[in-house]
Amino acid sequence: MPRLLTKLPRRQCLTLALNALLAFAIQAGAASLKLKEPGDHWSFRPLATPAGQHSIDSFINARLSASGLRMSPAADRVTWLRRVSFDLTGLPPTSEQVEAFLQDQRKDAFELVVDDLLASPRHGERWAQHWLDVVRYADTHGFEVNTERPNAWPYRDYVIRSFNQDTPYDRFIREQIAGDTLGADAATGFLVTASVLLPGQIGADDVSKRLARQDALDEIVVNIGQTFLGLSVGCARCHDHKFDPISARDYYAMQAFVAGVEYGDRELRTPEAEARRLEATRLKAEIAQLDQQLARFVPLAKSGTERPPVNARENTDRFPPIKAKRVRFTIKETNSLEPCVDELEVFGTSGGNLALATRGTTVSASGSNVSANRHELRFVNDGSYGNSRSWMSNEKGKGWVMVEFPAEHTIERVVWGRDREGKFTDRLATNYLIEVADLAGEWRSVADSSDRAKYVPGQNKPATVSTNGLSPAEAQEAARLLAAKQALMPRLSSAENEQKVFAGTFRKPDDIRLLHRGDPEQPKDEVVPAVLSALGKVKLPKESAEQQRRLALADWIASPQNPLTARVMVNRIWQGHFGIGLVETASDFGRSGMKPSHPELLDWLAAEFIRSGWSVKHMHRLVVLSAAYRQSSVQSSVSGDQSRGRLAGQLHAGSLNAEYAKAQTLDADSRLLWRFPPRRLEAETIRDAMLAVSGQLNLKMFGRGYNLFAQRGGLSGFTPVESFKDDGLRRMIYAHKVRREREAVFGAFDCPDAGQSTARRRESTTPIQALNLFNSRFTLDQAEAFAIRVKKEAGDDVAQQIHRAFLLALTRAPRPEEVRDAEPVVRTHGLPALCRVLFNSNEFLFLP
Amino acid sequence: MTPRAELISSAGRALLDRRRFLSHSATALGSIALTNLLSRDGLLAAPGPVIHPARPYAPRASHFPARAKNVVVIFCAGAVSQLETWDYKPELIKWDDKPLPGGPSVTFQGPAGNLARPQYEFRQRGRTGKWVSDMIPHLAELTDEIAFVHSLTSTTNTHGPAENFLSTGFALDGFPSLGSWVTYALGSENQDLPAYVAIPDPRGVPQNGSNNWGPGFLPAAFQGTTLSSKEPVRHLVAPGVSGDADQAARSLLQRMNARHLDQNAGDSKLAARIASYELAARMQLSVPAISDLSTEPAHLLKLYGADDTRNPDKAAFAKNCILARRLIERGVRFVQLFNGAYASGGKLNWDGHSALKEQYDVHAAILDQPAAALIRDLRQRGLLEDTLVVWCTEFGRMPFFQKGAKGRDHNPDGFTCWLTGAGVKPGVSHGVTDPLGQKAVQDIHPLYDFNATILHLLGLDHEQLTFEHNGIQRRLTNVEGHVIRELLT
Repeated sequence: MPRLLTKLPRRQCLTLALNALLAFAIQAGAASLKLKEPGDHWSFRPLATPAGQHSIDSFINARLSASGLRMSPAADRVTWLRRVSFDLTGLPPTSEQVEAFLQDQRKDAFELVVDDLLASPRHGERWAQHWLDVVRYADTHGFEVNTERPNAWPYRDYVIRSFNQDTPYDRFIREQIAGDTLGADAATGFLVTASVLLPGQIGADDVSKRLARQDALDEIVVNIGQTFLGLSVGCARCHDHKFDPISARDYYAMQAFVAGVEYGDRELRTPEAEARRLEATRLKAEIAQLDQQLARFVPLAKSGTERPPVNARENTDRFPPIKAKRVRFTIKETNSLEPCVDELEVFGTSGGNLALATRGTTVSASGSNVSANRHELRFVNDGSYGNSRSWMSNEKGKGWVMVEFPAEHTIERVVWGRDREGKFTDRLATNYLIEVADLAGEWRSVADSSDRAKYVPGQNKPATVSTNGLSPAEAQEAARLLAAKQALMPRLSSAENEQKVFAGTFRKPDDIRLLHRGDPEQPKDEVVPAVLSALGKVKLPKESAEQQRRLALADWIASPQNPLTARVMVNRIWQGHFGIGLVETASDFGRSGMKPSHPELLDWLAAEFIRSGWSVKHMHRLVVLSAAYRQSSVQSSVSGDQSRGRLAGQLHAGSLNAEYAKAQTLDADSRLLWRFPPRRLEAETIRDAMLAVSGQLNLKMFGRGYNLFAQRGGLSGFTPVESFKDDGLRRMIYAHKVRREREAVFGAFDCPDAGQSTARRRESTTPIQALNLFNSRFTLDQAEAFAIRVKKEAGDDVAQQIHRAFLLALTRAPRPEEVRDAEPVVRTHGLPALCRVLFNSNEFLFLP
Repeated sequence: MTPRAELISSAGRALLDRRRFLSHSATALGSIALTNLLSRDGLLAAPGPVIHPARPYAPRASHFPARAKNVVVIFCAGAVSQLETWDYKPELIKWDDKPLPGGPSVTFQGPAGNLARPQYEFRQRGRTGKWVSDMIPHLAELTDEIAFVHSLTSTTNTHGPAENFLSTGFALDGFPSLGSWVTYALGSENQDLPAYVAIPDPRGVPQNGSNNWGPGFLPAAFQGTTLSSKEPVRHLVAPGVSGDADQAARSLLQRMNARHLDQNAGDSKLAARIASYELAARMQLSVPAISDLSTEPAHLLKLYGADDTRNPDKAAFAKNCILARRLIERGVRFVQLFNGAYASGGKLNWDGHSALKEQYDVHAAILDQPAAALIRDLRQRGLLEDTLVVWCTEFGRMPFFQKGAKGRDHNPDGFTCWLTGAGVKPGVSHGVTDPLGQKAVQDIHPLYDFNATILHLLGLDHEQLTFEHNGIQRRLTNVEGHVIRELLT
């Protein structure tokens, strides 16, 4: 910086001085001025509501005129409509909406548009993204394995619904911290949005376990602190906060509120989930019945008849009923590598899988290759199928796994597989032995592979039922039963999905101690749950129940008396509309954060927010209908767009330009709002807008996310999907969000990676963005689709096509010189060439 | 100029020309960009590098005169055993197969077994007489030029967090990588290539994937771009679009954007976006050129082992090493060269839990000759004068085997990384672990110090290189870090 300064002419140095003054006026005493009392810091004081009638515009105008500035003229209707549509729904207006709005002569035409946009389901999809950025939502667990977190999405859907329904913000807070008490189970997904080490990834030594638990709790406290309170509470983990009145003791007292939270799936208790659960139980019983009936067609082991060869999906070993306390499955040879078993099931004479861990059955093995969340011993009897929930031995070609029931049972059937989902055929046990021990502990062999036909590599058809030696009637009956079972299986799997949410599980809280320098190996005295001592007095006794702790914390945060809560949220709303908040550091209202540019406005908005019953939509309405929001973003009248030409007509161009120059000098970023500050669309909005314009956008809402990657994890990393169809054409908020792995085309547009919280997206410009948007398969596909749509709507005339393409992409007609430029390109290289250009144009990519 | 020079508008050329940029009139782009930046600076507590919106990779001044201009990091994923490589512990031979009295009963992966001797023979090398193992004979020849730190520690014994810690200074996810910090601070000397290139191992991506080259909360411009001898940069060309069509589209876009800029005079973001398309156009030519190794002479391919047909993994890694040199040669600021892939029971990276010797034989053959050739080649071309070479791994391994296995468990309490090249004192061995090589006991340095030292060599004060994120002036070194002066000339 100094190097640059020395080369600047004098006039610019003056500019710098003015800038410095302004900066100081805005900042006025941040970190450098250490204040003694917590109450001395502006954001810790109660809201100051100024007397008299006020509005957003009265505050903005007062501040502008104090600097000798004023607002720009209003933007034209189309510009405003494009701006507010992107802002409230993340999508451009359709040409029909533009037309209707231009024709609408009613006095409240603007209000009606805003009502429509806020009522649109697209609104929640747009504003949920802002929230998910802050809470660093993702559909994977993070760290090196970064495996899928398959039940995270109900939280994402909860957030979308909340914004659509305008859930009062105080309730929104309570639900996210203690939704289990409010009939909003998915909401507590908020507590566990962070990366977390899974059991198999944490070291076997106690030091590793303690550190991992501390890290997991820290993420929860940090999330609560920065999201709701705008405070970097996490700073106090290792030492008293350097700037804010948050001591290390305060930090651990906050931990104590959530010390009973574990990262994990919880059963959803919505009526829909209950219904699905009942359905699943019923289907399981039905399937077990069918299995029991089918079993009689399975040839007995050791009966002298040859049984079908083993296959990778599912094998049944049936034997005469025998008493068993333990069952051991010993593998002696495989078709390759270390053996892998996805599930070992043991059935008694009365049906039902006795091996399930949920029935109290324990499991042991000769040794295990552990790959966290994929291959773990506990997966061999967890009731879940497939490679991703399987056990793997740690020895090539051999190993054993044993289940022990809590009591002795009479059993007659063992069912096992390598991968019931049929994706993997390696690591299959081709030579094995099944033994049974009764209560007395005497082992007896009940089945082995010696009477099975030889395994032929590549032949992996499941042959649970053999028609060998059956009468035609029996064979027919077997086929009927099998068909009935196969019809039920997909119903079961869909009923079993969507009952759970990754929203934390709750248990007896850990004892929380102050840790010296944050080191779990240096515990000091015990702390009880208490809110930040500078801000409140809520303190709970040590024996407080888990749920009670979270409720108390939520109540304290969601209180109108909390000086931070409403301020922080109205600032986030403001930031969503103008790109930058009244407080620039949206998640830091502490002393090292920025001071508000308009402190009175911030407090007025916060008071209005509370007065409205914490209605977020009310705040949107106030902001987007203000004159400040409706101003033009154009800052020069000479080169001003003729179609937006109101400016030039209203004021003499020369004096206006002088005014702009002054405003530009004093406040280049337009923090004081002398013009609307334009900004580049976010990653998701660009993708969604391209799909909307090309006519390909799939508006299906909610549910499991679609894949951005064809292959996830493992050796080749994450291989992006290049061409999308069906679900892949849904809005990007419905993509399966892989933590730390940015989407291949749009990720480069500053898309947060969900590693840490993103309070405000940076807006950078890189050549990689240009390459992605200009050359990717996605852009070319959408340009093709766009061209097809345009031809359908505009016919064969090239001029008409160009006109229509501009209207759809940019919500305006092309100017004559633009038609002249575009025509030869369309004639020589086709309409998709123009469509590709429109998607890449600055006008398309910027919020006007 | 390139054949595509005509595609760059005159306005665009002006933008890319620093002097003309700054001399633009008051209402135009130059001064506006500056006022923007400076007012922003005024609002921030600590001054950071000034990033020109249209030229994020423009070279920027360091805090003080730099010893090194560029960096190559050889990142060995999976945790290389210090005991089989650089940290000679003859005591272990004596104690081979005996239990460690008072040692831990359980370590990261499970029960601990008996102490185990180094799995390779060691011998003294060069002028300094440094003991280095036979596992890496080529690298061993370079020890006179290397400054070793034997006493590094990590905060965690788990690969994911530990690779985060090595690459970003934090064990948690989501922080900017070293290369991102460096290019954020310094930009690059070459405006036609990415400023920061990450070259994954031919066997696969490293354990912690893109987090090792991620920008965290820094602007996306400072993310590492992946490129290797096997994998080109994505989206360099539009599939199925003819050169003519491409050019027509590009020039139409340019005209549209130029008009739009005229109507919105003074918006530096719009100008930056125009410039980014021009830089992208140059990258389309320069990236394929740099990846084309056909111009490398046969003797050089042989020096690196890139011609080794019996060992394709080695040949591919050797090509990556040549690519690294070509990038450095052209002024790319930061090159990260990965050796070792994903968790695989030690088969594809250095995570030798169960059959260490067997697996290290394989890995060493891939690493040794190519990496040594890279350093030699850089030196021979005079590039080592300005280039810092870093060899690192996320932690070390235990002096004992795991119970029932022939491999060593994770050990974050004392391990070795090293530096060579610009500004590095040659032939130094700094820091000591205990006689069994389990824990650092003298001149103990958390990895913060190692990272602070790398920044220092680049002329950067690790306490001054900051970025405001959620209320905290974040640094690569958190609130820690001391430059290890003993490693510097």
